[in-house]
Amino acid sequence: MTTAIHQNAPAGDQARDGLRAANDAARTPSESVASIHRLLGAQGYISSEAIATALFIAQSLEKPMLVEGPPGVGKTELAKAVSAITGKPLIRLQCYEGLDEAKALYEWKYSKQLLYTQVLKDKLADVLSGAEGLKASVARLHEFDDTFFSEEFLEPRPLLKALWEPEGAVLLIDEIDKADDEFEAFLLELLSDYQISIPELGTIRARQKPIVFLTSNNTRDLSDALKRRCLHLHIPFPDQALERAIIRSRVPDAEEKLRAQLVAFVQSLREMDLKKVPAISETIDWARTLVLLHARELDRTLVENTLNVLLKFQDDIERVGEKLNDLVGKAKSNLR
Amino acid sequence: MTQVLGEFIKALREADVRISPSEVIDAEAVLGLVGYEDRMLLAHGLSQALAKSDADKEAFWDVFDKFFAFAPFTPPEPANNAAGNCDAEEQGPDDQADGDDEEAGVTGMASSGGSGQGSGKATGKGEGKPGDKAGGDQDAGMFGAEGESLTMAEELAQLLEAGDSASLALRLAEAAQQAGLSDIRFFTQRGMYQWRILQLMGSEELGRWIDQAEGGSNAAAAARATRLRGLRAGLHEQVREYVETQMQLFAGNEGRRLREDMLASQRIGLIERSDMQIMQGLVRKMAKRLVSLHSRRRTKARRGTLDARRTIRANIQFEGVPFHTIWKRTKVDRPKVMLICDVSGSVAQVSRFLLLFLHSLHEVLPEVRSFAFSSNLGEVTELFDNYPPDVAMGRTLQRFGGSTDYGHAFRDFEQLALDDVDRRTTVIILGDARNNNGDPRADILQTIQQRAKRVLFLNPEHRSRWGSGDSVMPIYAAYCNRSISCGSLKELERVVTDLLRTAA
Repeated sequence: MTTAIHQNAPAGDQARDGLRAANDAARTPSESVASIHRLLGAQGYISSEAIATALFIAQSLEKPMLVEGPPGVGKTELAKAVSAITGKPLIRLQCYEGLDEAKALYEWKYSKQLLYTQVLKDKLADVLSGAEGLKASVARLHEFDDTFFSEEFLEPRPLLKALWEPEGAVLLIDEIDKADDEFEAFLLELLSDYQISIPELGTIRARQKPIVFLTSNNTRDLSDALKRRCLHLHIPFPDQALERAIIRSRVPDAEEKLRAQLVAFVQSLREMDLKKVPAISETIDWARTLVLLHARELDRTLVENTLNVLLKFQDDIERVGEKLNDLVGKAKSNLR
Repeated sequence: MTQVLGEFIKALREADVRISPSEVIDAEAVLGLVGYEDRMLLAHGLSQALAKSDADKEAFWDVFDKFFAFAPFTPPEPANNAAGNCDAEEQGPDDQADGDDEEAGVTGMASSGGSGQGSGKATGKGEGKPGDKAGGDQDAGMFGAEGESLTMAEELAQLLEAGDSASLALRLAEAAQQAGLSDIRFFTQRGMYQWRILQLMGSEELGRWIDQAEGGSNAAAAARATRLRGLRAGLHEQVREYVETQMQLFAGNEGRRLREDMLASQRIGLIERSDMQIMQGLVRKMAKRLVSLHSRRRTKARRGTLDARRTIRANIQFEGVPFHTIWKRTKVDRPKVMLICDVSGSVAQVSRFLLLFLHSLHEVLPEVRSFAFSSNLGEVTELFDNYPPDVAMGRTLQRFGGSTDYGHAFRDFEQLALDDVDRRTTVIILGDARNNNGDPRADILQTIQQRAKRVLFLNPEHRSRWGSGDSVMPIYAAYCNRSISCGSLKELERVVTDLLRTAA
C-alpha cells in the first residue's frame, strides 16, 4: 500500500503559490497582511483587516479556519479567492443532514471488487497449480498481495481528494452546522493532523497539507472539540466604506454616485428590524440590476421595482415600502 | 509562555471565555508570528485563536481593551508634549516587546508619549535614565546612603518630582507583578495588595524619610519633604485605582458567580425581591444552555424494522445481496407540554420562574400551553409568549390571584382543555396542594393522567410536609407519574432537563 508522506513542495510550486510568495517577500507581519489584502483585492475580494490577518495566521500556522457570519457576507467567496491566488484547486464539500463518510471521504468500488473476485476465481486453478495439500495452497495464496482492499479500488470523495492532491488544495467544508454531530466528530482527525484513517488501509496522510476552510451560519453551536482545532474568524456585515470598495471591485460599471447611494441605502436597511437583512451578495446583485437598467442614481420608483432583489420576504418588502421615501431621501442626502 | 499572555488568558477566563490549553498554545504561536508591534494585528490574531463564538468575541474585545490599556498615571503637571514624544523615539530601539507600550505608541496619548518603555513586564530596562542616575548620586547624602532600598526610595522621589509618568508606570507594573496582583480574588484583598505594591515601589521608605526630614533641622530637606508628601499621596491614589481596575479584570466575575450559585440553589420563596433580576438572567442562561443542548432533532433507530426500499437500493451494487442493511428511523417527537400553575401567594414566585423557564425554551418546546389558577383557572400562554415576564406575571396575578381551590381549578381545566390532552402531552402541575379543606377532585386528575402521556406534580414544599394540615398532596400523588419536591432554581432545571431528555 502506498501512503503518501507529507513533503515540502518543490521550489517551482512555491513560486506559483501567491500566498506563500507574498509571505516570504514581506519582512514584517504587517507587510504580509497588507500584501495578502492586495492579493485578495486583485481577485476581486475586498477584505477587511480581520480577514487578511486571519488568512495570514491560518496560513503560517497551517491550521484550518472556521469562518462564521450571517449568510451572504462572502464566507464561501473567501475560499474561492484563496484558491485563485494560490493556484490550488478548490475542493468543495457541501454539508447536509445525513452526510456520511461514504459521501465525504471514500467508498470502495464494490462492483469492481466483485469482478475482481470473479476473475480471481477463474485464475485460482492456475495460481494453485502444483501446490499439494491444503496447507501448501493457503501458503501460496498468502504470497499474493491483498489487492482487494487497495487504493485501486478506492473511490476518493472530496476529503480524500484534498489529501491526495499532489500540490495541495483548498478544501472548503461548507455549512458545517448543517451536518450531523457524528460527522463533526469524524472531521476531527482530518482537522488536527491532516490525515485520515481507513480501517482496511491504515492512515493516509496529506501529500501536501491543504488549506482548509469551514463555514457556518451559526444555526447551531458547533462542538468545542471542533472549534478548538480551528482558528475562528467572524465576518460581520461590512461598514459603508468597505462595502463601497466591494461594489467598486465587483460591479465596476456602476457609477460613483449610484454606488454611494445604493450602499447607503442598503446600510440603512440593515438597521431596520427585518426578517432577513440584505447581505453583500444581495447588494452586488442589486448593483448589477441597477446597472442593467442604466440607472445613474436612485429614485423612488426604481427602488420600488427592484426591491425584490434585495429583500426576500414579502413582509420585509412591505415594511420597507412604507418608508421608501424617507430611506431613498436619506441615502441621497447622506453623501459627501 | 510569556507572562503577559498568561495573565491576559487569565483575565479572559475570568470573563467566562473558555480557553483550552491547546488554544493557549495557538495563541502563543500567533504571538510569535505577529509580535507586539501592531496592536490591531495582535488583537485580530489573538481573537482568532482564543475567542470562538459571538459572545466570546465580545468579551475578548472588552478584555483586550482593558488589559492592553495604558496609563494608570496622570502626571501631576501637564507633561511637555514635545519632550515626551522625543523620549519615545529615543527609546524606540530598546523597547521590549510589550503590549502596553504599544497602546501608548498607537494611540499617542499626549501625556504618556514617553511611555515607550511600557509597563507590563519586568524587563529591568528603562529604569532610571541617565539624568536620574546623576541626580541619585548627588542627593544620595540625603538618605544617608544606607543601601539599596534607600536608593529605591530616592529614585521614587525623583520620579515623582520629575512627573515621569512612564517610568512610574513601569515601576508600578513591576511591583504589581512581584506582588502577584493577578492572583487577586476578593475585594477584601485590595488593601493588602495596594500596601504590598507601594512597599515594593519604595513608598514606605520614602514615607519614613519624609517624616524624618520634616521634623529635622535642614530647611531645604523639610521643604522637599512637604512637596513629596503631596506627590506621595497622589501616588497612593493612583495605585489604588490601578489595583481596582486590575481587580475588575482578574476577579470581576468571582463575586457574581458565587452569588448566582447561591441563588440557584436557594429556595425560591426565600429569595429577596431585589435579586429577582439576577434570577431572571439566570433562568435565561439555563434555558439557553438547554436549547443549544437539545436543539438538534433526535432520531432513534428502530432496531428490528428493516427499511426494505432503501436496503434494496443500497445493495444493487452487490447484485442484490444485502450487505448493507438499513433500518427504519423514527424522529423523536418534541413533547407537548401543558403547565398548570398555582399562582396563589405561597407558590407564585416558583410559578413565575417555571413559566419563564418553559417559555424561554420555545425553540425546543414549541408546544407549551400554560394555565394559571388560584380558584379560577385560565390560559396564560399568550401573555407569556408576548410580554416581558414581569408584565405577564403581573397581569396573571391580577386575573387569577386569590385563595386556592384545587377542586374548582381542575373543574375549569376539564372544561377548557381536557379535550386537547392526548398521548403526546406531558401535564405539569405546580402547586403546594394546600386546598383549604375543599374537595380535591382527584377524579379529574385521574382522567387527565389516563389521557396524558404523563403527569408531573411539582411541589415547592419539602416532602416531609406533604399531607400535613390542609395539604392533599398524598391524594394527588397517587394519580401522578412522578411527584417532585422542587423549590430551588436548580431543582427546576433538573425537572426541565429531564423533560427534554425523556421526550422520546
